[in-house]
Amino acid sequence: MSTVPSLAVRLGSLELPYPTLMGSGCYGTGEEFAPLADLTRIGAIVLKSVTRLPRLGNPMPRIVHTPAGMLNAIGLQNPGIDWYLERELHKYAERPCKLIGSVAGFSVDDYARVCERLAARAEIAAVELNVSCPNVASEGETFGCDPGLTAEVVRAARSTTDKTLIVKLSPNVTDIAAVARAAEAAGADALAVINTVRGMAIDVDAWRPRLGNVAGGLSGPAIRPIAVLAVYEAAQAVRIPIVGQGGIETLTDALEFFLAGASAISIGTANFTDPRVPGRIVTELQAYLARRGLADLGALVGKANQGFTTPHQYEGDEG
Amino acid sequence: MATIDTRVHATTVSERRELGPGVVLLTLDAAELANATRPGQYVMAIPPSGETAATALAVYETQGKLASLLFFTTGKRTRELAALHSGDRLDLIGPLGNGFDCSGDARDVAIVAGGVGIASVLLCAQRLVRLGSRVRLFYGARTAELLIESQRFADAGCELVETTDDGTRGAPGFVTDALERAPRPQAIYACGPTPMLRRVAQIANASGVRAQLSLEETFGCGIGGCWGCVVPLVRASVQAPSFPPAQAVNGDFVYARICREGPVFWAHELRW
Repeated sequence: MSTVPSLAVRLGSLELPYPTLMGSGCYGTGEEFAPLADLTRIGAIVLKSVTRLPRLGNPMPRIVHTPAGMLNAIGLQNPGIDWYLERELHKYAERPCKLIGSVAGFSVDDYARVCERLAARAEIAAVELNVSCPNVASEGETFGCDPGLTAEVVRAARSTTDKTLIVKLSPNVTDIAAVARAAEAAGADALAVINTVRGMAIDVDAWRPRLGNVAGGLSGPAIRPIAVLAVYEAAQAVRIPIVGQGGIETLTDALEFFLAGASAISIGTANFTDPRVPGRIVTELQAYLARRGLADLGALVGKANQGFTTPHQYEGDEG
Repeated sequence: MATIDTRVHATTVSERRELGPGVVLLTLDAAELANATRPGQYVMAIPPSGETAATALAVYETQGKLASLLFFTTGKRTRELAALHSGDRLDLIGPLGNGFDCSGDARDVAIVAGGVGIASVLLCAQRLVRLGSRVRLFYGARTAELLIESQRFADAGCELVETTDDGTRGAPGFVTDALERAPRPQAIYACGPTPMLRRVAQIANASGVRAQLSLEETFGCGIGGCWGCVVPLVRASVQAPSFPPAQAVNGDFVYARICREGPVFWAHELRW
């Protein structure tokens, strides 16, 4: 096949040239990474979450490196939506890629009000609802852990904008499919699966938690199998596209997510290892599709879906 | 902040030396990096395995097309770098950070280094000596064999005051005790563990001496993207990021990124 395979992807009305999003809070405003990576070769940057009021964030330490990953507890440090819209956002307009705004909140009303004002701005191509931040004394994550509350947030945000709404789900739930279905029914255009996994590390010399916030969110390759399964389960529960994320570092990792049912992927912590990772994945993904004679990514999405192992294998196995 | 020169550099290890137990000096063939780096700046070393986060390391020395990194092997990430040999490739992001202000206005200067902090101050010492300042190096380590490179600083024209926690070389006790006993300098430059820096700040602030502290912290990205390494700073500091007024956030400080606005901060502007 001589034509170059397409990596373009559509999330609701949002069209992206590449299926690679840079995870919220992991890529700054894009300015920090611009000298180190080709921003014309990424799908979009998901900006750091903004809240209704300014937040100083958590006390230090905010980062702990762990085996095959890291814990973070930044605590949604941000200047609040007023300051953000007046003094920050215009600076990002020159980025050569699309920008997705991220909204966090502590009430349904918070989400709706911030989403409305953010989505109204031309610099913002789509909005991600962060209903799953594990680092704000569990208030933020409360929404994403409850299908009913998730639906309320999404419905309220949906009524404020026609731009693509991505809902970022928490892995810290019993049944992610139920939350996924609730978000879809309430009007989400896409789901981001998953946010970080709650975790903790203890300083055994000082006998105290290593993070200033005590608990944090685990990211990196350590959580990849958790994320792949979450994508697989969510993909079977909904028809809207899924942005798969959690420890993606290589082409192989990316393929796992597409085959599990993701239409796009998000890269976060891997940018801290090597900012060339997103560019490398795009190049290798294109070569992979060409080698396999596939015209686009659609040929991969969900192709590993075999449902779940049939229950009869376990019948009678009481031990 | 990141300079216009900040980028990914593909470098080659030209020499690897062990200076002490677990102390490694990697000299790299890295012409552009060596040329662009100012005293007190650092790099993020991209792990060749791709299996860990990048590691922040001070640029110890630059000479012609060579740049060297001096570090202690303390964990998985530094062990991987310590295993590199002459001829191996090492990719680095840099130079990063603001670095020290070495304008040479102060004629009598103290540099305070604790442990691996010594790696951040050689370029600074060389610059200040060249500008004609008297430079006293107060250098402390846990034990004698970890007091590495003292001769290097002496050769560069520094007067040495050494201390060890266990008294095996120099004065026994902390390096900050030696600083406190000594006649006051006109300016202080310091890099080392946070407790040492806090004590240096107390000494400097109490005597009205301006001190530049190069802070150490666990980095996430190391380039300003994640806000994982912050320090509370007075709002009036030129290094303070733009942020809503104090009453809006219930705090008279703002968090600055150590990797981006720093790593060097004025002692009297820190609110820690």
